[in-house]
Amino acid sequence: MADIGISLGRAPLPGARRLPRPRGEALLLLGLALYVGLFSAFPLLRLLSEALGANAEGEFLGTLRESWSSRAVRRAFWNTLGASGAAVAVSALLGTALAFCVTLAPVRARVAATFLILSPLLIPSQITALAWIELFGSSSPLLAPLGLAPTPGTPNPLYSGTGIALLMGIEHMPFVFLAVRASLLAVPQDLIEAARIAGVRTGRVVSHILLPLALPAVLAGSILAFAAALGNFGVPALLGIPGRFPMLTTLIYQRLAGFGPSVMGQVASLSMILLAMAAAALCARGVLVRRLSVPIAGGQPLRPLLRGRAAVAAGLFVWGAILLTAVAPLLALVGASLVPAVGVRLSPETATLANYAATIGASGTVRRAFANSFQLSLGAAAAAVLIAIPLAYLCALRRSGPARLVQSIADMPFVVPGTVFALAMILVFLAPLPLLGVSIYGTATILFLAYAARFLPLVLRPTTSALEAVEPALDEAGRMLGARLFRRLAFIVAPVVAPAAVAGGLLVFMTAFNELTVSALLWSSGVETVGVMIFSLQYEGNSTGAAAISTLSVLFVLLLALLLDRLGRRLPPGTLPWRS
Amino acid sequence: MPLLAKIALPLLAASMLASAAQAQEGTITVYTSQPTDQMNAVIEAFNRDHPQIAVEVFRSGTTELMAKLQAEFAAGNPQADLLLIADSVAMTQLKNDGRLEPYADAPVDGLPEALVDPDRTFFGTKLITTGIVYNTDLVQTPPASWADLTAEGVASGVIMPSPLYSGAAVIHVGTMVQQPGFGWGYYEALADGGAVAGQGNGTVIEAVARGEKAYGIIIEYMALNAKANGSPVDFVFPQEGVSTITQPVAIVKGTDNREAAQAFVDWQLGRAAQEQSVAQGYFPVIAGVEPPAGYPAVADLTILPADTDRMLAEDQEIKMQFADLFGG
Repeated sequence: MADIGISLGRAPLPGARRLPRPRGEALLLLGLALYVGLFSAFPLLRLLSEALGANAEGEFLGTLRESWSSRAVRRAFWNTLGASGAAVAVSALLGTALAFCVTLAPVRARVAATFLILSPLLIPSQITALAWIELFGSSSPLLAPLGLAPTPGTPNPLYSGTGIALLMGIEHMPFVFLAVRASLLAVPQDLIEAARIAGVRTGRVVSHILLPLALPAVLAGSILAFAAALGNFGVPALLGIPGRFPMLTTLIYQRLAGFGPSVMGQVASLSMILLAMAAAALCARGVLVRRLSVPIAGGQPLRPLLRGRAAVAAGLFVWGAILLTAVAPLLALVGASLVPAVGVRLSPETATLANYAATIGASGTVRRAFANSFQLSLGAAAAAVLIAIPLAYLCALRRSGPARLVQSIADMPFVVPGTVFALAMILVFLAPLPLLGVSIYGTATILFLAYAARFLPLVLRPTTSALEAVEPALDEAGRMLGARLFRRLAFIVAPVVAPAAVAGGLLVFMTAFNELTVSALLWSSGVETVGVMIFSLQYEGNSTGAAAISTLSVLFVLLLALLLDRLGRRLPPGTLPWRS
Repeated sequence: MPLLAKIALPLLAASMLASAAQAQEGTITVYTSQPTDQMNAVIEAFNRDHPQIAVEVFRSGTTELMAKLQAEFAAGNPQADLLLIADSVAMTQLKNDGRLEPYADAPVDGLPEALVDPDRTFFGTKLITTGIVYNTDLVQTPPASWADLTAEGVASGVIMPSPLYSGAAVIHVGTMVQQPGFGWGYYEALADGGAVAGQGNGTVIEAVARGEKAYGIIIEYMALNAKANGSPVDFVFPQEGVSTITQPVAIVKGTDNREAAQAFVDWQLGRAAQEQSVAQGYFPVIAGVEPPAGYPAVADLTILPADTDRMLAEDQEIKMQFADLFGG
């Protein structure tokens, strides 16, 4: 102890920062930059050069200009902007309201409620869309027996821009919920007690203290939700294609599926339009969060402060919203998996497990898809955690400028639509690798690399923000005591960020397990994934079979979450997002 | 000598058998547009006759499969040994690009000449027709002809597959626009009346069986299989005639297991495969095999004439024009 005091005294912190950067760190940074450069930046740059290239007539930026002059592209652009904007309004209102109610009221079964609120993150958008189509269709297994289903022959009301906005809004609501809830939990109880002692009423505490403090989180979460909506493929594909509401992601997919690699330049230019929209949003996020964030001192975390009728109302709102947005569509999905054929009403006489027997029992392909998805997403989660911890360390604790650049590049594959990133990977990794002479296209490797690169930000973000809250002196002390880089990473940094990194890794696993958009372009025979199987079956007109696999994969993820929850009591607090 | 012969002959025979068995083993990869559960059944039946050959499957819509193949050819690394895809236009395109391997000794006896590529690179395995499906809860008077679909109040309830996804739709649209009685005017009338295009045939049966759309343009087995499973739908062979596809099988040039690939082609053109496809709801292509129950005899079908060379030449144009009318 005395030693630490003395060395701290001898070498003041500002002086320590002027020391040349240790070589280990430079090597680590180089390695990380190479990894991110090769698997995130390079593919996207290739795509960019494709998009910004000249057209057949050799005009400067010809491809992009040709795309922009197309009526279909401009319609898709405005549709994307409009539907994503409306979706964000839904996400922000719902996410903020739920976060406030769950945090401030003594809600019954809070852990279960939080888990169900976050469940849209675990359920891929094509399953969500499929479930809502079942719920609102004229043969709805839930609404039809109640006499509430739309009359046969009228189109499903969800096949519209409004339907797309509503579903995307619900699906991306957890981004807002998580951000707002984290910011509320960071508000010290002392602040509320102080306000109480000063005689401020609960309503005013919420509107004048908590709401302003949560505002940066609302904005930050909303912008993430906006970026997610821009890149969403499952919802516009299932609702927008039959509803004649083209969006940029579906236009890209349709052009590519219809015309093949010959339209690569055109498709790449469409993806640049999407990329520019997302980049603008994320820049705005950076500026807003920096302007609006208020540093608050730590202390006892916030306790529920609503009592009486307000608490009951909040509880009812939370569980009502959960029933409508999470439980009902899943029940509809289960219902759909039990009918013998599309369009048949579910009843005790018609219910059958034949879809399960046909898809799981009879088909080795489906079983293999489950095994593939399991291994691929576990591998991607592990890789993302291993990359994220040192990178977050260099960014947050060492405040390295180059590392921050690497971090923003690492964000790119997550921001661009999955279809676009998959395309970029194909462009780069189609040809045999320079030194090895083998092509990884058509193997599991390309899927693994794509998953790891695409979902890295899911670990990187929570890990970086966890480390930003850490006093840099801790690491400085380690340095001055002569602890080497990897020792510090293993014994100082890793224990501190473990909860955030594991939670991020978990999110990667669960997101990648049901992933569709990237897999749809990169899968190959023998390397089928669960998402691809569901999409294929639905596409083939076998949505009862698709519903059966969806039900099983959702069940699997839920069981996994339950298992983790059991273990969660031994994990550090904050590891499981629904247990915070 | 007799003793020697007694010992040598069985040995010789055994070694010949062994070499034959050796040739027909290993793994082959089939790229197909046939639905997953059907393809699983096909492989199961194939493996009863050829237990030594493991079959890997990559399934997607024909148009998407072509896009994937083009990418693999560009990489110089095609993964497929065999193709079993919806239409001969796609196959002809691949043949013209030098991507298919001729198989001169394929067992084509009993197969109609129209189904066999003159250069023996691809061979039709089925007859699939495109007609009209309707929802029996919503439609009292079933349509009898293609022309009926453009009627007022009908067109707005029509959904069709898009050639941007489906090989059958490529042929169907290509065939319809070649007919003097229809042409692009037919599709303009449908579009003006409010008809929509989905993705593949799967989206069509979904929409019609769910009762979201009353009518659909679709390949026959998908509608009739759904009907057999209890969906409230029925199918009509329109009186002007139907367009047809043949789901040809072909060996990809550069396959690393030619013997096993040829065994798969042989099997596809044989009686066992034909009987299985009848059980799966397809018209058979070899003589002496009956069509599925409730289907008309192949000879009774009116088939719309089609010029596949012209269709191939106009492929991109057809897709673009369709996309202009119906989006995508």
